[in-house]
Amino acid sequence: EKWDMPMAYSGSNFHSVTGAEFAKCVTTGTQGEIEIVTHPSGSLFPGGQIKRAIQTGQVPIGERLLSGHQNENAIFGVDSVPFLATSFDDADKLWSAAKPTLEKVLADQNLTLLYSVPWPPQGLYFRDEVNSVADMEGIKFRSYNNATARLAELTGMLPVTIEAAEISQAFATGVADSMVSSGATGYDRKVWESLNHFYEVDSWLPRNYIMVNSDVWSGVSDGNKAVVQACAGLAEYAGTWRAVQYTDFTLKGLRDGGMNVAPASDQLKGELQQIGETMTAEWLEAAGPDGAAIVEAFKASKAE
Amino acid sequence: MEDFSIIILFLFVLFLLLGTGVWVGLALMGVAWVGMELFTSRPVGDVMITTIWTASSSWTLTALPLFIWMGEILYRTRLSEDMFKGLAPWMAGLPGGLVHTNIVGCTVFAAVSGSSAATLTTVGKMSIPELRRREYPEPMIIGTLAGAATLGLMIPPSLTLIVYGVTINESISKLFFAGILPGLVLASMFMAYVAISSRVSKKWNPAQEPPMTLGQRIANSRFLLPVICLIMVVIGSMYLGYATATEAAAFGVIGGLVLAASQGSLTWQTFTESLMGATRTSAMIALILAGAAFLSLSMGFTGLPRGLADLIAQWELSKFQLLMVLLVFYIVLGMFLDGISSVVLTMAVVEPMVRQAGIDLIWFGIFIVVVVEMAQITPPIGFNLFVLQGMTNHEMGFIARAAFPMFLIMVVMVFVLILFPEIATWLPENLRQAPGGG
Amino acid sequence: MPLAKRLRTALDFLYLGSGILAALCLIAILILIVVQMLARWTGEVFPGAPDYAGYAMAAASFLAFANALNRGAHIRVSILINAVGPKAQRIINIWCFAIGTAVAWYFVRYCVDFVYWSWKFNDISQGQDRTALWIPQSVMLLGAVIFAIALTDHLISLILKGDHRIQRDLVDQSFGE
Ligand code: NA
Ligand code: NA
Repeated sequence: EKWDMPMAYSGSNFHSVTGAEFAKCVTTGTQGEIEIVTHPSGSLFPGGQIKRAIQTGQVPIGERLLSGHQNENAIFGVDSVPFLATSFDDADKLWSAAKPTLEKVLADQNLTLLYSVPWPPQGLYFRDEVNSVADMEGIKFRSYNNATARLAELTGMLPVTIEAAEISQAFATGVADSMVSSGATGYDRKVWESLNHFYEVDSWLPRNYIMVNSDVWSGVSDGNKAVVQACAGLAEYAGTWRAVQYTDFTLKGLRDGGMNVAPASDQLKGELQQIGETMTAEWLEAAGPDGAAIVEAFKASKAE
Repeated sequence: MEDFSIIILFLFVLFLLLGTGVWVGLALMGVAWVGMELFTSRPVGDVMITTIWTASSSWTLTALPLFIWMGEILYRTRLSEDMFKGLAPWMAGLPGGLVHTNIVGCTVFAAVSGSSAATLTTVGKMSIPELRRREYPEPMIIGTLAGAATLGLMIPPSLTLIVYGVTINESISKLFFAGILPGLVLASMFMAYVAISSRVSKKWNPAQEPPMTLGQRIANSRFLLPVICLIMVVIGSMYLGYATATEAAAFGVIGGLVLAASQGSLTWQTFTESLMGATRTSAMIALILAGAAFLSLSMGFTGLPRGLADLIAQWELSKFQLLMVLLVFYIVLGMFLDGISSVVLTMAVVEPMVRQAGIDLIWFGIFIVVVVEMAQITPPIGFNLFVLQGMTNHEMGFIARAAFPMFLIMVVMVFVLILFPEIATWLPENLRQAPGGG
Repeated sequence: MPLAKRLRTALDFLYLGSGILAALCLIAILILIVVQMLARWTGEVFPGAPDYAGYAMAAASFLAFANALNRGAHIRVSILINAVGPKAQRIINIWCFAIGTAVAWYFVRYCVDFVYWSWKFNDISQGQDRTALWIPQSVMLLGAVIFAIALTDHLISLILKGDHRIQRDLVDQSFGE
């Protein structure tokens, strides 16, 4: 049986590489009974359509940045609450805390979660030096969803909507002067041609999730299920390892490109932490008791 | 071999539907449907709607109807005649005469528009009636227009380069810079062709322009001012950071309306006619784009484009051989797919191949644009052919034959690029923006 | 046959009306883009403008399909049709309209599901506009239905009266000759 697996990011991206290895592992492990074929670069479905495509059985399996769907259910944005989990370790703990709830929410949508790999931590890009929230006043900030627009609002910046494809041009022509994104995005888009500062504030680590259609999943034999799950475990481990490696690599790349890459000043860090608390509270309001339970479990596991 | 039977089947159904005269967009949907029903077990109808909804509701697509609308406004005003009056004195003296206005007009408009179809519509609406009135050979008018309009993809802004850059993670601004010189070189090659064939051809007997002194010519250039102003407004809005490439199209429409009003040619009738005309033309293009989106998805499911690219990867070719094979590969693919789809569908396999061969990826982007430009004018599915068919009522075969010399010139352009790669690479390497600049 | 005449008037009104709606959507795109730019220059925010423009784009396309068909704007390869006699022409035209009608109604059939599931899943736009997607998608469905009706209309007229009713646009035609 052939499983087409749409993925949104380019073939050389580490998520796509991890997905390709997962596909190979499943194909070999099930001796071809399940043959997974990955379709990177959004060549089958673009990112925004992948979840629905799996849900409705248009494809059996696929990868999606779930926080893209937080308008639909705030729980999907759990990995993107600013300054809640700010390191790979924290992100891992948050993922463990959120996993049962996410599985439940996705199960209601006919989706079975297989594995999840984080993106490198999100930092702040600026054209000019910024040492405090006051310095951000009025800067044109690229927002791409409600959470990033809210972040701009709370820091006094001006959110402007720029499509991913137009990022480089928007910075080159001054349509925008800053954004929040991982070092990887800046490296891929070569933003050092226009922007000069990257602050490693590690505001959050969004995750990609690999999901399979539950009807398809229930038709898989127990033996093959075990193979797929084992491959998923391997992929999650390998993908996370790659994310860590890639973070160092891209930050070095930004430096080599001529950007000033450094942690934020203590003042800025403190101020951002406060904004993070505001945004966590707002998220909790939207996510209800499920969200509260996740954050509680996360904080408990951090205290251990 | 399954691939082979898929190819035969796709081709058969495609030729059957297109050949008997089913509307192109609907025919593409039909072919895609057959491919998916036979070669996948996925729910075809759901997949079709998801894809078409995504393709139709795209923000970047909105630039297309606006640029078409701008073209319709310009067509219905005196602006088109004026552009002709301004350019004609300068072009009339050249061998080949006013046919050069097609090429120069497309080159200038390419700097405003990111798409080939919009360039074609705008310039074509201005130039076709004027050139016909002067009895230039019809194939020359149609052919140069079909070819030169593809410069809209090469000279920045360019939708194809944006898609390519995002797919392979290359800097889009660098790619934009890389497109400028090759665009100008290609335009001069078109002009050289026009000059030569005007001397060789016996059918070349257009109405002569009245002779003009240099002073008169310069005086006549004032007619160009409105069009140049419009282009400066559109380009300026983009490069000075007032607008993104998509938003700049809005400047085009408003600028067109303002100019038309200032000339007194803006009436309720011209306004509604231009609006309804633009609505219909963009609906026509949208139907084909919808069909193309579904077809490329269907081909993605069958794995055909990737299979072919994989096959090439196994041959272990030298750099030059690889480029030649890719040239043929993309020409064949371009006969049936639109350029952006063929880039997206194949890049996953072609990119590592190209990197391994040590080919510069900025340069390769320009190579890709040239082959995508060819795809615009090769039958049976060539966008410029369709648009020109809509504008002129000529048969597809006639237009394709008229455009064939332009296709050959583009093939020559590929070899020029291989011999002198600096045409593409010099500008981006030396015009690199200073950090913080812009 | 006053009933048939009334139906004819109603259908023609439907095609023209949807075409005008499509044109208004095109104006809406222009306005949305301008307002978005004005907002940005003046330090204001207009969240979701690109998404709204995208919906207007889909609406403009689908609502105009029928109107464009009636005015002969949609492209087809007519080598064969022009080469054969009137009798064969009619048969080929019936085949083309039959295929077109089938594809259009097939689209409508699954578009109904698509919109229904968007409503059922409570599918909300991923952008800052937070639009319930079934709303803009219903406009696509409406346009597709009108397009399918128009194709059927031509097909029936072709079978009963021997000719479809496509009239090439006069302005388009002026580029032709
Ligand atoms: Na262009
Ligand atoms: Na072609």
